[in-house]
Amino acid sequence: MSSQNVALFIDLTARELRTRVLSVGAGWFWLFATPILLLLVYNFVFGVIFQARAPDLDVPFVAWLAVALWPWLAFSDGVLKGSEAIKKNAELIAKVAVPRALLTISTQTASFLLQLVGYLVVLLALAVLGVELTLVGIPYVLLVLATLYLLSLGLALLASAVQVFVRDLEQLLPTLMMFWFFLTPILYAPELLPEDMRVWLHLNPMAWWMEEIRSALFHGKMLPDLNFLPLLAGALLMVWVGKRIFDRLSPHFEDFL
Amino acid sequence: MSDVLLELKGVGKSYPPTVQSSKRLRAFWQILTRGRSEEGTSVLRDIGFQVRRGQSLGIIGANGAGKSTLLKVITGVLAPTSGTITRTGSQAALLELGAGFDSEYTGLENLRMNAAFLGLSRKEVDDKLDDILAFADIGQFIHEPVKHYSSGMVVRLGFAVVASVTPDLLITDEVLAVGDESFQKKCIRWIEGYVEQGGTLLMVSHNMYQVQKLCAHAMWLEGGRARAMGDVFDVTQRYLAWHERRDAEDVASRQNRPSGSICTVESVTLPDEEEGELRLAMGASLRVRVTARSPDERAPVVLVGLIRADGTPVYGVASDHDQIELTPGPDGRVELEIRFPELNLLPGGYAARAHTLDPEGLRIHDTREVAFTVTGRSRELGMVRLDHRWNVL
Repeated sequence: MSSQNVALFIDLTARELRTRVLSVGAGWFWLFATPILLLLVYNFVFGVIFQARAPDLDVPFVAWLAVALWPWLAFSDGVLKGSEAIKKNAELIAKVAVPRALLTISTQTASFLLQLVGYLVVLLALAVLGVELTLVGIPYVLLVLATLYLLSLGLALLASAVQVFVRDLEQLLPTLMMFWFFLTPILYAPELLPEDMRVWLHLNPMAWWMEEIRSALFHGKMLPDLNFLPLLAGALLMVWVGKRIFDRLSPHFEDFL
Repeated sequence: MSDVLLELKGVGKSYPPTVQSSKRLRAFWQILTRGRSEEGTSVLRDIGFQVRRGQSLGIIGANGAGKSTLLKVITGVLAPTSGTITRTGSQAALLELGAGFDSEYTGLENLRMNAAFLGLSRKEVDDKLDDILAFADIGQFIHEPVKHYSSGMVVRLGFAVVASVTPDLLITDEVLAVGDESFQKKCIRWIEGYVEQGGTLLMVSHNMYQVQKLCAHAMWLEGGRARAMGDVFDVTQRYLAWHERRDAEDVASRQNRPSGSICTVESVTLPDEEEGELRLAMGASLRVRVTARSPDERAPVVLVGLIRADGTPVYGVASDHDQIELTPGPDGRVELEIRFPELNLLPGGYAARAHTLDPEGLRIHDTREVAFTVTGRSRELGMVRLDHRWNVL
């Protein structure tokens, strides 16, 4: 990216963030309050009603859940919002020769960042409530989140470009993401599954990401090991594929929008 | 200077079928696997030209000739189906004033965003902010969301942003036809200044007067092809003549008056002229005869002006200034003569220029001129002798 495009990317992302936060009257307040409220709801459902237990750990189930849920929300929100970016900016694309990929990337980035703020709030709240998180794992978590960001970016690029041509994707994508959510051990522990199904779980890449984040925050995993490699490779591959297809399709956007 | 700012070679564009979803899917697959889609409606064919620095190009043509599509292809909003486009130097496009504005944001935020699209950095915008705001001249509204703006204000802000950029090549699409009178003048003045300072313009316009004034070259698009290209006067005159012929054919086929909307100057002559250019003694009388033609039963406004050979206007008067009633004959012709009984022009080269304006007297439709020379022995200065008396006190 040229320096001009970097500046444009920052402007676009900042604008997107401002719209999301400031378009609501007390935007700043909700930015912090929503995660806390969600945390309370999940605690009520899983902690009080289902009485779920975190596997082999002495932490409330809601903490075990939240540590993986917010990274997923960031990932999923990034993909879904990013995938709509091109259609949403159709008018701009028809009139101004703006680098199109930046529209998707900035929307995806803004969505991802906002959920990360929620994640931070949740982690702080858990720490205040006395949940034992292994904070030495934080640098590794950031590394894992960075790859998750890239994965989300690649998918957003792919989806936003394809959506211009295949309109059905707009309807399909949220459902697909929900499937993926439930097929990933976020709301449940993999140990709850029958033995023969648990093997299949490892074919879901998202499970790898969640596993690494939990090892870092509950078991104090500090350094990347061999488990990190597939995350990095997968994320980079996704960005490469997404960008390639986006670049291939983007000159024709205006014809089909 | 002859460096090429823009070069098109064999550029063609066809719009793919987008209505049926099965065809969309097929086009999608073709683009993905082969990088292009097969079918489509062709709107541009085999366009090739160069724009060199300082040599502005006007693109003219009837509605639907592909002018706007061509501009979109040049600016990169659309990808050409065939051919190549080479761009050098900075380029700014004004396809539509206020394009890219988001109505939810304030004028200032949109200004910054638009400037970023045009490649200005944050710091450059800060430096130029006062100039931009002064040019737009919308006062405190700059802090209001754009949705509260009048369309004129949107246009002013949009132009002000572009005016702050001064690109190597400025691409405009009929944008000068908006805004109120004073703002239009401001825009035109800015563009004239920009062209004078060596800026290059690529403009689409239906206003031949503007094209002739601002561009050195013109291209006439017709049905997606370049029908004529070259010197601006040459091309615009051929284009207007083509319109006339088409109108005349209409007349023949419908036994009716021309339906085109252009009032033309058929001829402007100086009846005292014998052979060659008229040479007139200072203080003699000058007659200018104008034949204008109106497409309908409404008479055009005829404006006659005298200009110096270097283009400096001396005097101009229109038929509606003096409440002259014109009635077109059965063939739509209006013939009239204006007489300047004592032409006190100082010796030199001059021209009489006749314009036709639409019946409302708002837009100039056509222009023709004829040169003449004023002879005499005078050491007075300036262009015109003013009546005067000396008094020694």
